[in-house]
Amino acid sequence: MGQIVRYTLMLLRSYTRDRTALFFGFFFPLIFMLLFGILNLGAIGGVNLAIVDEANNPDSARLIQTLSGIDTLKVKTEARDDAMTSLQKSDLDLVLIIPSSFRLAPVPAGATPPTMTLYTNRARPEQGVIGSAIITQVVDQTSFAVTQTSPIVHLEQQEVSGRSARYVDFLTPGILGMTIMQLGISSVAFAFVVDRQRGVIRRIMATPISRRSFIAAHVLYRLIVAVIQVLILLAVAVAVFKVSVVGNILLLLVVAVLGAVLFLCLGFAVTGVVATENAAAPVTQLVTLPQMFLSGVFFSRDAAPAFLRPIADYLPLTFLNDALRDVATAGAGITDIVQPLLGIIAWIVVAFVLAFRFFRLD
Amino acid sequence: MSAIVSVRDLRKRYGDIDAVAGVSFDVDEGEIFALLGPNGAGKTTTIEILEGLRDLDSGSAVVAGVDVTHDKVGVKHRIGVQLQSSAFPENFLTKEIVDLFALFYGRRVDALALLREVGLEDKAKQRSEKLSGGQRQRLSIAVAMVNEPKVLFLDEPTTGLDPQARRNLWELIRAIRGRGTTVFLTTHYLDEAEALCDRVAIMDAGRIIALDSPRALIGKLIERGFTKPVIQQQANLEDVFLDLTGHALRED
Repeated sequence: MGQIVRYTLMLLRSYTRDRTALFFGFFFPLIFMLLFGILNLGAIGGVNLAIVDEANNPDSARLIQTLSGIDTLKVKTEARDDAMTSLQKSDLDLVLIIPSSFRLAPVPAGATPPTMTLYTNRARPEQGVIGSAIITQVVDQTSFAVTQTSPIVHLEQQEVSGRSARYVDFLTPGILGMTIMQLGISSVAFAFVVDRQRGVIRRIMATPISRRSFIAAHVLYRLIVAVIQVLILLAVAVAVFKVSVVGNILLLLVVAVLGAVLFLCLGFAVTGVVATENAAAPVTQLVTLPQMFLSGVFFSRDAAPAFLRPIADYLPLTFLNDALRDVATAGAGITDIVQPLLGIIAWIVVAFVLAFRFFRLD
Repeated sequence: MSAIVSVRDLRKRYGDIDAVAGVSFDVDEGEIFALLGPNGAGKTTTIEILEGLRDLDSGSAVVAGVDVTHDKVGVKHRIGVQLQSSAFPENFLTKEIVDLFALFYGRRVDALALLREVGLEDKAKQRSEKLSGGQRQRLSIAVAMVNEPKVLFLDEPTTGLDPQARRNLWELIRAIRGRGTTVFLTTHYLDEAEALCDRVAIMDAGRIIALDSPRALIGKLIERGFTKPVIQQQANLEDVFLDLTGHALRED
């Protein structure tokens, strides 16, 4: 045990000298965060909202005025047909239909409250999430102010999952997930394939250290690196981009470590099927690239083409990103993320079996 | 003198090739012993079986009192190895490499003292991948000595080194033997075997075809009436090279 711990510490010390690993482990994700953060991709300088006012009464005017007063929303009123056409052309992000029955008054007993419909744009998922979150809140508050009890209007909406206010808030957990995936798959595959090719592992196995201790130290060392990566990236996100992390940091770290275990197992499995350094690049890309684009790192998974959704929903990184994002931006507790956690654990079992089957040291 | 390596009818097959086809020999404690032979003769297979890195098919091998078939870890604890075409992990300082390998044996060592013995003390704080070929070979000997081995196995230790570095390594190997460690090596350089070794075994096609001291082997050949046209030379080209460039080690 002492041997494993000391070996782990020596690996950590060597890691601090490994420029390539430091680049991909810290600067690369930070550059992503910086680029996407500064570009504020998704232009959350404004969510373009068109309101179709079919009620056209003082109450609807009051709601429109309230919504217009919110910085994030760029509001205009349009006819229904024009608005829907613009939405389809992606000139708009959201269309809110205020029905003719709309009133800011208590709903008579037994009657259903008027239903407002919010159309979101599949191509602009972040704006959809943010815009609908804001509108929900405004409607709820207005409702509550009038009746104190029951809703007087009902907003029919699609997929409001977080209270992300800005793109970087959405982006940061995705970057964490991506970094953990890269640590597990790419860095493990390259390190082991190169060390195996150079004869490093053969040399170490000529000493009495057991395979088990050797592998344990390498796993432990990378789990520690994963935790350090998450902490540093989070610190930069909070300090530089004022990202609001509303969830429990400890829970976030637990999720990150589980994710690291999952991707380390996958990395060890990949190492087994790849013989040379040249083969390592395409194989790791094959495993990581689809997840980078389908698992909601930079964009919501909703942006994926419909036929890919069933695959995207079950990718390992999808579960990790969902759990990280729910905790970081929505303040989810452990009971709120049972589903993605189960997904991660199921993948750990699969990946462990694959690693056990394919990993080899020589 | 007692045998510290004892090999009896050792056999190893790969597919339908007999890599080692019934080999027997003893290495005496404190000698420098070389296994010679063309590529594919079975030298590396034999040495790797003795190092506990490969299983033997049949026969027996006892190294420093440990049977390699039954206790590979025990063998590894008692020997030092330098493997052909192996490397050290990257991003470690030279001194850390020594500490790291000591850790693999569950030991703590004075890394600087070991590096001093192989003339690398001033490289202690340099990354090991920055060392020259000769320096790397000396580091790998220092690493092979971390567990105070009874037998040191060196697989082609001087391949690729310049004449100065080779001679320097010979001195180092003699010094290690001088402290009582048995040295078992393979080489392609016959002048090296002649200059360095107490006894050599010549291996071909998986069998040992001769085993004696270099002088005795040469004597036997001449007794059989072997002659070659003799050009009386007081020196050879290597002597010229060393005379012109000196014996001092180069930092490449």
